[in-house]
Amino acid sequence: MHIPDGILPLAVCGAGYATTATLTWYSLRQIQRRPDPHAMVPRAALLTAVFFVASWIHIPLPPISVHLILNGLLGVILGWYAMPAILVGLFFQAVMFQHGGITTLGVNATLMGLPALLAYGLFQLRFVLHLTGRFATGAVAFVAGALGLGLAVLLFYGVLVATIPANLDVATEQAALTLIALAHIPVVIIEGILTTLVVLFLLRVKPELLTDNAPVGATALLSEQG
Amino acid sequence: MELWLDQYATVQSPVHRWEARCRFVGVLSLIIACAAINHIALLPFAVLIVGGYYLAARLPLSFLFTRLRYPGMFLLVVVAVVPFATGTTVFVQAGPLSIYQEGLAQAALIATRSGCILTLSLVLFGTAPFLITVRTMRALGVPALLVDMMLFFYRYLADTAALLTRRQHALRLRGMQTRRLDGRTLPTVAALTGSMLVQSFERSERVYHAMRVRGYGQAVAPPTNPPIHPADWLGLAATLLLAALLVCAALMLG
Repeated sequence: MHIPDGILPLAVCGAGYATTATLTWYSLRQIQRRPDPHAMVPRAALLTAVFFVASWIHIPLPPISVHLILNGLLGVILGWYAMPAILVGLFFQAVMFQHGGITTLGVNATLMGLPALLAYGLFQLRFVLHLTGRFATGAVAFVAGALGLGLAVLLFYGVLVATIPANLDVATEQAALTLIALAHIPVVIIEGILTTLVVLFLLRVKPELLTDNAPVGATALLSEQG
Repeated sequence: MELWLDQYATVQSPVHRWEARCRFVGVLSLIIACAAINHIALLPFAVLIVGGYYLAARLPLSFLFTRLRYPGMFLLVVVAVVPFATGTTVFVQAGPLSIYQEGLAQAALIATRSGCILTLSLVLFGTAPFLITVRTMRALGVPALLVDMMLFFYRYLADTAALLTRRQHALRLRGMQTRRLDGRTLPTVAALTGSMLVQSFERSERVYHAMRVRGYGQAVAPPTNPPIHPADWLGLAATLLLAALLVCAALMLG
């Protein structure tokens, strides 16, 4: 799902960096509003490392196996730190493992980061809608996890289709990209299920991981509900 | 897991001796120039320039070939598919298959552009210790919070990878099937991921408190950057000129 170097025109790479810079700037502004913005930095970095290595876990999906992306879950847990976390993770993937690329870092960070922030927003909606029971939390987590990857796939598809060079066989390329996008549907469902299971696990074992990024008053609401 | 970033950081070469900020800006401008190439006539020039910088950095070719392994698979697919699927002017006809001239040009453009950018990124990140690279990024205006996250991430990545390996070994010893998707696969992977998140969360709390005791989060004096010598400026000016020439040529041919 990472777009490598050399594929996209320079203008698209530039637009990707501009979008990523805007999203990161806005996220950092939200983080700076916290009483102690430094307090969450080690946590965000260490959890980013977990998400990074968790993406190496392969789920058997005969006849192939797929690896996890987990950007929806990352958004749910890290909140506004998701965008810097994704940027850092993708930067390391590009310079250490040559997955993705330096010129496409902005585009890739937007493809992963924007859905992660939307997944965070969706997951926090449960406080507004008072859907904080175990079943409702699991259901919202499923939608957030599936939305995270599903939207990333759609953006990936959109960027590639929109930037196919004019001298390429557009119909063939579109058909191939559509096939790739459709092939991700089972993975989107798996990510949704996995997000639900991890969120329910954390709700049972370490609920602070889910509530530290919650809006003001949400923790009190959860305490009231026991 | 091999954290390779510092593998050749102490080699003696003109690129290694080049002041870090000048090297960062210069090589990055060349990367942008390579991304701007849109005509195959420019590819030999790009290869010559990039090859020159790689040789000047005295990085071994084995380093490049090892790093090309993963993107190489992608490039192989491009080279294997695009010439057959793209274009109208038949270059070679082999039975039912036709290799098109436009497809060949496009495959050469994508593969060479990608290879050049990758080679330059090795020159950029492989010729200085990672901590110097991060300090340079901070000096060039990357936000402090991002830099802190990068340093923590770099410090704990190997530990987290080792933790995953240990957990996976333990799961296999307890009979987990890794090649079959059954009702237990996803709950097990979720428990594995969740327990790693919890463990890292608790560790991060300890790390944060230890850092606070050492003054983390307090205002610190800005670090003093080493001086930039005339030779560094000259190297930067020459590199920027090469990059500008490539971009101008790409604009004219495009």
